[in-house]
Amino acid sequence: MSTLHVLSHSPFGDDRLNSCLRLIGANDALLLTGDAVYALQPGTAPFNALNARAPTLFVLTEDAQARALDIPGTAKGIDYPAFVELSLHYDKVNSWL
Amino acid sequence: MKFAIALFSAAHAPSSRRALLFARAALAGGHEIVRLFFYQDGVYNASGSVVTPQDEEDLPRQWRSFITEHRLDGVVCIAAALRRGVLNAEEAARYQREAVAVDAPWELSGLGQLHDAVQDADRLICFGGA
Amino acid sequence: MPTSLLVISRQAPWSGPSAREALDIVLAGGAFDLPIGLLFLDDGVFQLAAEQDARALQQKDLSANLQALPMFGVDDLFVCADSVAERGLDPTCLALEEARVLSAQEITALIDRYDQVVTL
Repeated sequence: MSTLHVLSHSPFGDDRLNSCLRLIGANDALLLTGDAVYALQPGTAPFNALNARAPTLFVLTEDAQARALDIPGTAKGIDYPAFVELSLHYDKVNSWL
Repeated sequence: MKFAIALFSAAHAPSSRRALLFARAALAGGHEIVRLFFYQDGVYNASGSVVTPQDEEDLPRQWRSFITEHRLDGVVCIAAALRRGVLNAEEAARYQREAVAVDAPWELSGLGQLHDAVQDADRLICFGGA
Repeated sequence: MPTSLLVISRQAPWSGPSAREALDIVLAGGAFDLPIGLLFLDDGVFQLAAEQDARALQQKDLSANLQALPMFGVDDLFVCADSVAERGLDPTCLALEEARVLSAQEITALIDRYDQVVTL
């Protein structure tokens, strides 16, 4: 079984990213949407935590673009059709509301 | 494939827009949406009382159009709606409140509808928070 | 085979209606005899702190709803060990005795065992 974890909160002053990285499994993936893409800000604790755990990483492109954040080569930018396909590729979707 | 889509955030939250765009992409991809379930602050998307600033996306109107156009099942959790003052005519009469905020195509119902959708669908996708 | 659902409750008891609304999803599922599990994670573990007094805030006391879970057929109750330790709670003194305290690895495996999940 595999899970697509979806985050949408800023990782600064919020524990969702850290909790998620603690629980994310080897077959799972992480999709950053909304303010969660701020975890891509280089040189920050969330960025380092993300790289240390290095999950299979997807980023909703529109959110990175809006915030002028680069999507690193280790992640894949996606649009909504790809989001739909991802949600079917993984057995379930766990959105951290 | 069949999706149950649940929305937990208000119309002005970016996650509400993401939910709608996901839902549109799901249908465009040839998939089916068994139900749209609105819980917690998600009930505000069904409110006809919301007045969106002119320079912003009108999510309540877009949800209404989307549900109507595709003849989808748009269910609003009745307990969450009552608490937040999103009442249909029946509930407004029952509780003697002035404002009626919800009408068709939205339907007020219980959490059983969420569970029913989860049982029917291949995937449950939730949007909300931020 | 019915679809199993894991509800992950992450909010403290009185930070708004979230804790109660998470519990309502679980109770509704139990009422329909569906396979439901409930995991308390992060601040959600505060819902299980002993000797709380909801009346001090004129809030609803959720402990009655929590104790009702087994009666609704919901026996799969779990608590995150790390969340409990970080928040200075005693894992042997939680309000829901039936809740199994799980490590992070066990929670990863737990999520895998359920068909669908909702985290609020």
